Amino acid sequence: MEQQTGPGGTSATGIDPALVRAAQQGDPLALADLMELLTPYVGRICGPIARQDGPDAAQDALIVILRGIRQLREPAALLGWARTIAVREAVRVAQRAGRTVTAPLDELRAAGDPQLATDVEDALARLTPEHRAVLVLRDLEGVDESTTSSVLAVPLGTVRSRLARARQSFRKVWES
Amino acid sequence: MTDNWIVAELDPVRRLRVLAAAVPGAVRHREIVLPVPVDRVWAVASDLERELPRLLTTVRGFRFTGGEGERLRAHAVGRFGQRADFDVVLRPGWCLMRSRFVLGAMAAVPEGEGTRFATLGGFRLPGARLLSPLTGLLGDVAIRRLAEHPALQD
Repeated sequence: MEQQTGPGGTSATGIDPALVRAAQQGDPLALADLMELLTPYVGRICGPIARQDGPDAAQDALIVILRGIRQLREPAALLGWARTIAVREAVRVAQRAGRTVTAPLDELRAAGDPQLATDVEDALARLTPEHRAVLVLRDLEGVDESTTSSVLAVPLGTVRSRLARARQSFRKVWES
Repeated sequence: MTDNWIVAELDPVRRLRVLAAAVPGAVRHREIVLPVPVDRVWAVASDLERELPRLLTTVRGFRFTGGEGERLRAHAVGRFGQRADFDVVLRPGWCLMRSRFVLGAMAAVPEGEGTRFATLGGFRLPGARLLSPLTGLLGDVAIRRLAEHPALQD
């Protein structure tokens, strides 16, 4: 069962369906309120995948989400739909920026070091955007492999191999 | 481990770009960089009752009528006597105003030692994009008047 965590830590049902419907009718205040609710959630997905281009990715993802909100038939499906868009926009923006570092992981600091957050960022930087997306979906969002495969439009085997590679990179951080 | 993962932040100017692209009828989006700190710019821009009639050629008066916190109500009078009630969301760096027919918004963030200031306007009417040349002209005038505001000159 995949985890359903919403903006600001609320449950998936925490977004008022009436707000979604008002946004679907084009009400500017409703669209702005929905943007405020979705921004932390979208930012949490776009940050690790697009890294320093995360704000660009989050901005583009929210534009796609709010422009397409009329197509959403069921308000309860909002977060899953937004997550798919955020992941795809983050990968697209990160690929366009082409900032992936391909150097080995040997230089990373040991776990417990005050620079731990920097080390995590370093480990992320050495993965491709596609690998980061798998890691975010599986380990940060708690999404199952099948859903991850669907969100990224890649075969299940590809999800597994990317996840193994991504987790191996992080293991080197903790064990170094 | 996940506590250390970075979160992408979206500042008010970026949020206004999102609304400019997503809100139907939002046809007037402008950004300018002013060589003045953001607190000084926002002190002027957020003084809606005093400054909206100075910045917008179409507004003669603007008065708050109720609300609390960052969610307020206001009444506006147009240059030709037309009247409208507005729902207003106002907080540091962000202002969104909506009446039955009109949308207006402003955002400001620091940029270097200055301020990136953005405005958005539009009509909540079918075919509002046909009015783009007119609203674009009004937006340019408002931005220019803010840039030339006496309180923002050194």
